[in-house]
Amino acid sequence: MTKVVIDPITRIEGHLRITCQVEGGKVTDAWNTATLFRGFEIFMKNRDARSVWQFAQRICGVCPNPHAINSVQAVERALGVEKVDDNARLIRNMTEAAQIGYDHILWFYILNAFDYVNVPDALNAKPTTPSLMAVQDRVKAVIQSGQLGPFANMYWDHPGYKLPPDLNLELTAHYLEAIDAQAKANEANTILGGRYPMIHHMIPGGVTQLPAYDEIMFYKARMQEVQEFVNTVMVPDLLAIAPYYIDLAQTGKGVGNYLTWGVLDAPSQNPYDRLFPRGALFDSKLAVQKVDPSMTRRYTKHSWFDDSVGDGKHPLDSGQEPIDFTALPPLEGDQLPDGKYDWTQAVRLTDQDRPMEVGPLAEMLVAYASGRADVKSLVDSTLAQIGAAGKPEILMSNLGRIAARVLKAKINADNAVGWADELLANIGKGNNRVFREIDLNGSGTGVGGWDAPRGALCHYVRIKDGKTDTYAAVPPSNWNLSPRDDKGVRGPVEETLIGTPVVDPTKPLEILRVVHTFDP
Amino acid sequence: MVMADNHNHLPDEETSLFPGLSRRDFLKFCGLLASVIGLSGPMGVPQVAEALETLARRPQVVWSLFQECLGCSVNLLQARKPDPAQLILQQISLNYHEAVMAPAGDQAEKSFDDTVNSGDFYYIIEGAIAVKIPGAMTVHGRTSMDIVRDTYKKAKGTICIGSCACYGNIQAAAPNPTGAQGVRDYLRGKGGIPDAAVINSPRCPGQAEDTIAILVYILVNGKLPELDGIGRPKFLFSQTIHDNCERRGHFDNGEFVEQFGDEGSRKRWCLYKVGCKGPVTYAPCPVNRWNGDTSWPVKAGPCIGCSEPGFWDKLTPFYSKEPGIRIPGDISPVAIGEVLGGATAVGIAAHAIIQTARGRMGKGGPLSEEQGPVDQPGLAESKKADKSGKGDNQ
Repeated sequence: MTKVVIDPITRIEGHLRITCQVEGGKVTDAWNTATLFRGFEIFMKNRDARSVWQFAQRICGVCPNPHAINSVQAVERALGVEKVDDNARLIRNMTEAAQIGYDHILWFYILNAFDYVNVPDALNAKPTTPSLMAVQDRVKAVIQSGQLGPFANMYWDHPGYKLPPDLNLELTAHYLEAIDAQAKANEANTILGGRYPMIHHMIPGGVTQLPAYDEIMFYKARMQEVQEFVNTVMVPDLLAIAPYYIDLAQTGKGVGNYLTWGVLDAPSQNPYDRLFPRGALFDSKLAVQKVDPSMTRRYTKHSWFDDSVGDGKHPLDSGQEPIDFTALPPLEGDQLPDGKYDWTQAVRLTDQDRPMEVGPLAEMLVAYASGRADVKSLVDSTLAQIGAAGKPEILMSNLGRIAARVLKAKINADNAVGWADELLANIGKGNNRVFREIDLNGSGTGVGGWDAPRGALCHYVRIKDGKTDTYAAVPPSNWNLSPRDDKGVRGPVEETLIGTPVVDPTKPLEILRVVHTFDP
Repeated sequence: MVMADNHNHLPDEETSLFPGLSRRDFLKFCGLLASVIGLSGPMGVPQVAEALETLARRPQVVWSLFQECLGCSVNLLQARKPDPAQLILQQISLNYHEAVMAPAGDQAEKSFDDTVNSGDFYYIIEGAIAVKIPGAMTVHGRTSMDIVRDTYKKAKGTICIGSCACYGNIQAAAPNPTGAQGVRDYLRGKGGIPDAAVINSPRCPGQAEDTIAILVYILVNGKLPELDGIGRPKFLFSQTIHDNCERRGHFDNGEFVEQFGDEGSRKRWCLYKVGCKGPVTYAPCPVNRWNGDTSWPVKAGPCIGCSEPGFWDKLTPFYSKEPGIRIPGDISPVAIGEVLGGATAVGIAAHAIIQTARGRMGKGGPLSEEQGPVDQPGLAESKKADKSGKGDNQ
């Protein structure tokens, strides 16, 4: 038995350690350990109901928008507001679409690409266009300077890198273009939200103000550029590299249960009508079941909280206290994680305590199985292009997780400009309304449920006399990076790692790849 | 898209000493940075260019992430001048940054150790230090306390980016469950380094252009910028949001948004009455704007004071009128004596606001008593001077 520990897992948001037991060249057991704790649910108690979303969006600097929306929706519902004005819906959708556009581009290139694209090998390419020659010169200059900076010490000699030099160069060039494309998406977010990350236009009851005409036109222009990048660079890149890594379609199935709360509201503001509708799939079957955030359970036997904190409770009845930090499992030696080993709590769905995979794969599978025409046609045509026509179940894999994120980015980008046009049409008809005053001295319990780019996200709040009595946030990494639950059942990332081949335990590229497919 | 350096293949272009960067782009970059660090005018560009070109090697940077949300790094990726690839590949050597670097685990640690042990690096910190529960923040089995203490001692200079590294920020909000602290407070704490010196560049998130301006200031001047009492460079943080706000004219006219979405909000009137913390917040937001100069928070909604220490407890609730600010046109008995009419009244009102703000902040508020007068041209001033054609090269 070889123990493989990767700490830190890099190119993620957050702080993560992965421990694997490797036997016979394969992972036979795995543990994920979040190595950061901040205590949001503790310091979000007793806060003013209007202010609390500003706290909530600081949970994630990569995806503040969905945290902001979850928080204002939870507060709105706690205080009796089920729907906001249509303009507020459209503005929230517009900035969320910009958020998704940036996030998936950032993930595919900046966070994920180095697992597949061998940057130094780009020097062996024979480019013929001036732009690719310029990029090659740029890479050469960095390498020849002897100061490799962020590229130093990577496993560049690992046999797992399969792309030919020309593709390595082209993808490196697209990496640099992606930096520009993600910034454009964020400028679309910023023109309405004031800055990115950490937006300023949300407020329980709607949004702060109606955007000016020139701001809406700026948004449209930027999102058209994002759409063009996704359609002409990112989707073709996926199709270009997939054949070289097609073995990843045979591995990484994981728990086979998929959950999304849905994201991007339709006029009804009903979560089952969203662009990516709410729903769950169980046991790898493409049959959608209706789900509700009240079905979420928390467990803490393997987390650094007292066992009684989780114990199968609803998020508003559990919390993050009392803390029971024991010790980090040792890096060296043969000792494997045992007992408490994670700052993440285990979350499970329904009375059967099902571990659920969340993320774009879940969103695309639920939309596909719900019969969404645009999703179905895009998925089916993509499957045909990679030689898997009529086999959507092939998506339940490592490669599927990567593909789903790219295809979701396309559906998202193709819809963003339409919401801007709807907003312009509303304004043209004299509808300037973006906000409705709520009685903020009230009391009640409310739930969000609106996916972040990395997956199902739900905020829960209990308000007493205008202040938060209890606040709970169950982000996607709580689902995917759940530790074992009280019955010892592994979380989705842990389960997905089982069976992963590892050629060289001192250069665990394959483990890094699987973890990155979840955008942890 | 057109790559920033595509034209470095043009034969008529002299190349700069920076690999892959044309001379023209290099000088453009120097010009921008000169104005940001207060070296405006024709003398600024050569001064910056010379300082950068005398660097034989790109300065090495180690960037630690502690109790944070990655927002500061995400904003760094939004920089437009220079673009992040240019900054990371051509201006500096970013040897360690967990969200950007290719290697992971042991190999990432090697990058960290190699650079830190060389002693030839600048240290940038994003995120707070977990002091009460050290195990709440670890990398490779080491606590944030151990990492920051050891690395600080070996660095040529340490910059805290964003309000978490500066002052603890959100995880330090009451009751501060993990005992989160800013880096300077932690280093100077019990048994620590009493004279620990770091540059604090707050805002939540920390802003890309602030970071770049501070780095270049150090490289050009060979010394740290002058700091205020809480560690902020005076050239960036000596004026309030309110001083330079684009809505300020409406404040002076007594035109206020009374409710979100109202007619005043469509006219972009002043947000003070719906809770804007601009009058008590020292930050360059209105001039060093966000995301490639696209916008800034107050253009979209009220300021929450994210550059001020302890703002989560001291400036909340956010959407309530901040007390102690006198509104022009509000004819209370105290104000009557000051209303002299015309421009004078506006001047007095503005002065009163700043005095009120400073007075309030000085008495147990976020700012310390050491917040002194401005004795170096701020960013805002130099930009204004440029527009009026009266820029000097101080």
